[in-house]
Amino acid sequence: MDPAARLGPAEVAAPSPPGPFIDTLAQLAVSTLLLGGIYALVAVGLTLIFGVMRVVNFAHGEYLMLGMYLAYWAFTALAVDPYLVLVVSLPVFFGIGLLSYVLVMKGVINASHNVQIFTTFGLSILLQNVALVAWSGDFRYVRPWELYVVMQGAGTTFNLSQVVAFLVSVALTVALFAFMKWTHTGRVMRATAQDRDAATLMGIDTDRVYRLTFAIGIAAVGAAGVLVAPLYAVYPTAGLQFVLLAYVVVVLGGLGDMVGAMVGSLIVAGVEVAGSYFLGAAWKEIFYFILFILVLIFRPAGLFGQRGAETLGA
Amino acid sequence: MLTLERVTKRFGGITAVHDVSLEVRQGDLLGIIGPNGAGKTTLFNVISGYYRPEEGRVRFDGHDVTGEAPHLICRRGLTRTFQIVKPFGNLSVLDNVTVGALTRIAAVREARAEAEQVIERCGLAAHAATHAKALPIGLRKRLEVARALATHPRLLLLDEVMSGITPTELAGMIDLVRRLHADGLTLIVIEHIMAAMMRLAQRIVVLHHGERIAEGTPAEIASDRRVIDAYLGDEFSLAEA
Amino acid sequence: MAGLIPHRGALVLFGAAALFPLVVRDAFFLDSVVLILLWGALSAAWNVAGGYAGQVSIGHASFFGIGAYSSALMVTRFERNPWLGLLLGIALSLIAGLVIGFLSNRLKGPYFALSTIAFSQVLLIAVSRWRGFTAGAEGIPVPFRPGFATLGLSHVAWVYVALVVAILYYLIQVYLERSRLGLQLAGVREDEDAAEAVGVASRRLKVLAVASSAGLTSVCGSLWAQYIGFVDPAYVFSVDLSVRFALNAIIGGVGTALGPYVGSLLITTVETYLRAQFSGIRTGFTGIYLILYGAVLIVVVRFFPEGLVGLASRWWLRRPGRARAAGAPGPA
Repeated sequence: MDPAARLGPAEVAAPSPPGPFIDTLAQLAVSTLLLGGIYALVAVGLTLIFGVMRVVNFAHGEYLMLGMYLAYWAFTALAVDPYLVLVVSLPVFFGIGLLSYVLVMKGVINASHNVQIFTTFGLSILLQNVALVAWSGDFRYVRPWELYVVMQGAGTTFNLSQVVAFLVSVALTVALFAFMKWTHTGRVMRATAQDRDAATLMGIDTDRVYRLTFAIGIAAVGAAGVLVAPLYAVYPTAGLQFVLLAYVVVVLGGLGDMVGAMVGSLIVAGVEVAGSYFLGAAWKEIFYFILFILVLIFRPAGLFGQRGAETLGA
Repeated sequence: MLTLERVTKRFGGITAVHDVSLEVRQGDLLGIIGPNGAGKTTLFNVISGYYRPEEGRVRFDGHDVTGEAPHLICRRGLTRTFQIVKPFGNLSVLDNVTVGALTRIAAVREARAEAEQVIERCGLAAHAATHAKALPIGLRKRLEVARALATHPRLLLLDEVMSGITPTELAGMIDLVRRLHADGLTLIVIEHIMAAMMRLAQRIVVLHHGERIAEGTPAEIASDRRVIDAYLGDEFSLAEA
Repeated sequence: MAGLIPHRGALVLFGAAALFPLVVRDAFFLDSVVLILLWGALSAAWNVAGGYAGQVSIGHASFFGIGAYSSALMVTRFERNPWLGLLLGIALSLIAGLVIGFLSNRLKGPYFALSTIAFSQVLLIAVSRWRGFTAGAEGIPVPFRPGFATLGLSHVAWVYVALVVAILYYLIQVYLERSRLGLQLAGVREDEDAAEAVGVASRRLKVLAVASSAGLTSVCGSLWAQYIGFVDPAYVFSVDLSVRFALNAIIGGVGTALGPYVGSLLITTVETYLRAQFSGIRTGFTGIYLILYGAVLIVVVRFFPEGLVGLASRWWLRRPGRARAAGAPGPA
């Protein structure tokens, strides 16, 4: 089995038929936008978890994978449209996030980096293989009617699924951003992110903040999973490509920076779309890996230069 | 021995240290005091090579060591301790100090023997086999000093080794520093505990908002208007018994 | 840091391995011993960077794969003997190790780990795509040509080859525990800044540790390619494999010389047993023992950070009548 196919997402940006270059450019731009929106939803949860809890969640991709399977089983067994499942997925994954926090993450919040790395890695292996054992490694596909509604405009082609995924992702991301910025709870979370000790001194229950943060982060990525299920193949290790990608986004945008995550998503999506168009889909993943390594080497603090991969929690 | 020429260190928009010059001669025991955030530790970081200053030079024994790597500066004979102690937690006290000794001594056995002597000198002999992370703060501070001593420095930078310890431990630490100085070690000491500083230092430099606002003998400093203002302005009591 | 079961444990383990082929001739069991020793050596190699230097990498498969491909290609493409491939693999891995070592000085903890993963995936994709040279995703079958020069050996001979490597790597780790380099490295691991302040060239040592670890891993990769007879890029560069190297060391005892081997003994035995039991229910079985690994990893890393070797030495200390070491050892 071609590892690149196993690793990489299925074709999202259909290469345009030969036409005026401006059309190609438009197509690439639209594809980038649509893809970027999705990536933003995945990354925003991750950057939130990192920003507030200072934990790098290696298992993040696995929750996305679970979201994909949720969409798959709802669609296949219950004939429920994925976009309806979405509504249910938010509370479901919120709950899963809470559970994960209480069972696993809580114990390692104050532990060393290595303990955290291996704990979340262990969680990742666990979840991947629970999926493998439960549902086998076969590739599954979710093909709702929206996928076949082809939309065109200004020389570009895309389908309704992509549009819905994009719109919902943006809506959720913006909602999350607004929540963080304007609600009391959001402010409490941001305070904890800035200075954990000061927050405790001010009477903030940091455990409750972490629980909430993790749950929200997982809810976001679970929802993202439901949204992308029609666009990709569903299989137990589907999360891996997304988590690495999400990390590229998060590093680019600056750890804990939500706006940075959104911008970073567009950049990564752009690199992927352009790369796959000009050099072929097979090499697609290699681009953002290389981008990742380059960013880490030259600008680990991210484009916005705030906290960076080198300081990690400074 | 050590000369700072107009050292300035900035972090983004904040100037932590501004245009600071000072000179330390062999055999000195120089104290550096100042309210919190005055830039004292930043200055140590610049001297010992952890930060490169935006402006100014650091000269040790006539050599320009500005921005040189910390381990190279240590090899030249300048060692520093950390305000928030950094022991090698999972290593024993002996191993901690041995790591320091290995900088001058290549053979592990000899280095260990040297480390044992240093431990003895610093009053840690009873705890030689204890893991560093099991030590209470007072002993950790001693370990910090012992480990630095094992590198055979000619100039030792002590960063608040007296804070956060019991009065008995404090007396012991003052005694240790005095002995080290008497044995010929040149020292720069950052301290908050005024009583200790007044007793130990020959000369004191006062930093405030990153600038040197005064220098002189302890008596001169205690009666310096600017110093008193700086401390009172920051609600810090100069007269600490 | 050296456990309270110093070389006694190693003598038992390696002694048993040495005597094994004299008693047992069954290919299945001999194969298990070879694998236990090789996985142990691989984890020991990882341990040099991850345990002794504190640079936790989850991308060591990069070096394993480089070694495997070097030896396989040397034989199939260039028709030379695999030992040359082994040497080439070391050279290439050292270079790769220098790159990763450089990254270790730019990045901390999880971000370093991530970059190592990214590196291994770049190699995986590149090798899978470079059909012209590396036979791409189909992998390379390595022909078996009897003889030592061509590493075409019997199972018994392989046991001894693996044993030599395992013992060598064990000794390298012991050296790290006792030597000046090792102690300085321990300082770097515990607190890099503090180590620098007392004269340790932290950055340089980290690069040295990572590069050495890379070279050691590569050697095993080259040997493995010849032993198994097939190099599949999706396997040799996989993240699962990288985690496996770390897993054995963590369970056995990170930063101890014997830990990787004890961990390998346990894990490989369990895996072999499960494989024998469940052969036929392919996918289901694969998943089950990995679920176990995941769970064990979470538990061990949090509750038993010193691993089996650490636990054993603490138990050894508590036995009645045992003379205690001078001074009270601190809580582990």
